[in-house]
Amino acid sequence: MADHSGVSHGVARTSRERTAEQKLVETEKITKYRELEDEVRAAVVRNEYTPELFQLTSKLLRINPEYYTIWNVRRRSLISGLLSKRSAGSSPSKASPSTSPTATTTTPSAASSSSSSTATPPVPESSTAGKSSSTADEPAFPPSNPGDETAAAEQKDREILRLELDFTIPLLMKSPKCYWIWNYRLWILQQAIERLQVAVSRRIWEEELGLVEKMLNRDKRNFHAWGYRRHVVEQLESSSLAGASMVETEFEYTTKMIRQDLSNFSAWHRRSKLIPRLLDERHADDMVRKDFLDRELNFIREKLNVGPEDYSLWYYHQFLMLNLLNYVGHPTIAPTLTNDERAAYITREIDDIKDLLEDYPDYKLIYEALLDYTLSLCQVEGRKPDSSEKEQLIEWLRQLKRLDPMRDGRWTDLERDCGLLKLGFGKN
Amino acid sequence: MSENAANLPEELQLITEAHVKYIQSLDTRKDDYEYWLTEHLRLNGLYWGLTALHILGHPGALPRDETIDFVLSCQHENGGFGAAPGHDAHMLSTVSAVQILAMVDAFDELQARGKGNGRAQVGSYIADLQNRQTGTFAGDEWGEHDTRFLYGALNALSLLGLLHLVDVDKAVEHIAACANFDGGYGSGPGAESHAAQIFTCVAALSIAGRKDLIDIDRLGRWLSERQVGRGGLNGRPEKKEDSCYSWWVLSSLEMIGKTHWIDRDSLVAFILSCQDLQGGGIADRPGDMVDVWHTVFSITGLSLLGYPGLQPVDAVYCLPKSTVQRVLG
Repeated sequence: MADHSGVSHGVARTSRERTAEQKLVETEKITKYRELEDEVRAAVVRNEYTPELFQLTSKLLRINPEYYTIWNVRRRSLISGLLSKRSAGSSPSKASPSTSPTATTTTPSAASSSSSSTATPPVPESSTAGKSSSTADEPAFPPSNPGDETAAAEQKDREILRLELDFTIPLLMKSPKCYWIWNYRLWILQQAIERLQVAVSRRIWEEELGLVEKMLNRDKRNFHAWGYRRHVVEQLESSSLAGASMVETEFEYTTKMIRQDLSNFSAWHRRSKLIPRLLDERHADDMVRKDFLDRELNFIREKLNVGPEDYSLWYYHQFLMLNLLNYVGHPTIAPTLTNDERAAYITREIDDIKDLLEDYPDYKLIYEALLDYTLSLCQVEGRKPDSSEKEQLIEWLRQLKRLDPMRDGRWTDLERDCGLLKLGFGKN
Repeated sequence: MSENAANLPEELQLITEAHVKYIQSLDTRKDDYEYWLTEHLRLNGLYWGLTALHILGHPGALPRDETIDFVLSCQHENGGFGAAPGHDAHMLSTVSAVQILAMVDAFDELQARGKGNGRAQVGSYIADLQNRQTGTFAGDEWGEHDTRFLYGALNALSLLGLLHLVDVDKAVEHIAACANFDGGYGSGPGAESHAAQIFTCVAALSIAGRKDLIDIDRLGRWLSERQVGRGGLNGRPEKKEDSCYSWWVLSSLEMIGKTHWIDRDSLVAFILSCQDLQGGGIADRPGDMVDVWHTVFSITGLSLLGYPGLQPVDAVYCLPKSTVQRVLG
């Protein structure tokens, strides 16, 4: 198996029987592994978070990156000596970076003692010392006095953090879905925020976007990588990294990913999530919003015309159509449209989709969309389906049952609901 | 359903005895390198194995005393449990510990032999991991947040009768922020819908008594679309089917009353085709290596599908219904 998550995905079944020679090799591996593990544990029990222990964690994690306790031992080794002493607490769970003022994340406190005294326990510095060594509003430049010990400590921290980031790369390439590696990397990056000058740590964070790019090129749907990208962008936008909104460039990024591959469901999803903020930040007025909606609808309609079997396209189309309903609690692209305008939009889409049927009579997604949007139209107009619509609904449901018998229960429920069609149907 | 299952060809029957033996063998494979590399999952693995055995109707197939001793040997002074002795405490292993103790009816042993003041110590470990501003839960002191941990916390605390230790309303607010327009939920706000994360969110809302927040129609649609190809379920659009989603998708459908929106017979057939007929255990897909994770979530899935001879499973807790009834009354 590719990693040691204990869960086999897509690994072909082989015989559990081994030859005597294989067994011997296996026993040898186990012995070595357990010796290494024992060595680490013994040091932890003695509370000896030395550079030697740190090296052992490298060895062990390269063999088994799923061993979360060892990542914690590595963190403790860093805090206990390798990294400079500092005033802030070491628990990142308390940090709420998007709201934290810059004042809390400037230069770390001066560690006057040598930071290489690795065996000393992590005694927090008094915070007053830290405050006197730097001013809260000092901007993002290296300290003016090059002899400053703070600068030296920071330089050393920077090197260590860089090495740590490098350490995780081959592990991520080998086990791209291992939560613990991603978490550790984020913890290191958080240390950069807490220990380094804003400009320096910002550069480090910016480089993370390159890593995400690489990971997404290898697997465009890796949700660890997408989640990581969201987190990195959030941090880059936050005051702790002297950031500003990146919604425009992020939106462009989704456009780029979609152009590369129309079926990139994750990119469509991200796009749908960015739009409300994008329009807000553009201070878009009603006209601009309507134009935006038109452009998105045109774009997706064009794509659907050639790829009506693509679930991702319909997903995004559904998102746009939901914006035409008064979907309670969800921000809308064009909130001031009148009901008549909404109905006109929906009718236009229904007509276009009906045209698709001529070329593609056997794609269930088309029938599903027609059903869905016809019911939406009735909802917007506050009425029940008329008799010709009812006939169409019955026909589309018949097609759905033919093309998609697996979900027969759902079509039957829908059929029943359409037959009854109580007021307010579809508002669920 | 039961008639249909009986009509399946012989090789597509659930080979209960072989699965029991497979699970019993898991802790004896000490000459297997993989056994040592997966120690960080030992307590979770015990929960998976024991749950599968209970659902298969063999609750006594693992020795009860040894089970309790092992669970308690994983506990730290702060009340949390690690994956095995010597492993750091974490939410995931702590939840497994509570679930195992619930299954073997040993909360009294926890009270008597656990660290500090028994149940309350475990409760405070879990409660301390809640971020009181956002309602989310961290996995451990290092701070990763994920709806998996939020669900785990509500699951274990409610079993322990200690739900009042956390801000349930805030937790619910956080789940609401993870909702997507397709009716699904992601690992955090902004994340795309994923079947396993949906299970954690829907189950957490169930425990909190807030299923009213779920967009049942849209969620049901999304979940039912997970059935593909020969009948197996996938976890996200345009992904391959995988037997473990038999649990994540089906339990979510069960909680919103829509299991009839997928085709039961072809799913049963798919799950059964993932069995290792020689060695026991169930794989992600036919012909692949088996593991205890896919074994348990296939068997609990079959239980939800009403497969004959299996004990009923609770869709919210992923425990035998009898356990949940005994603990929650």
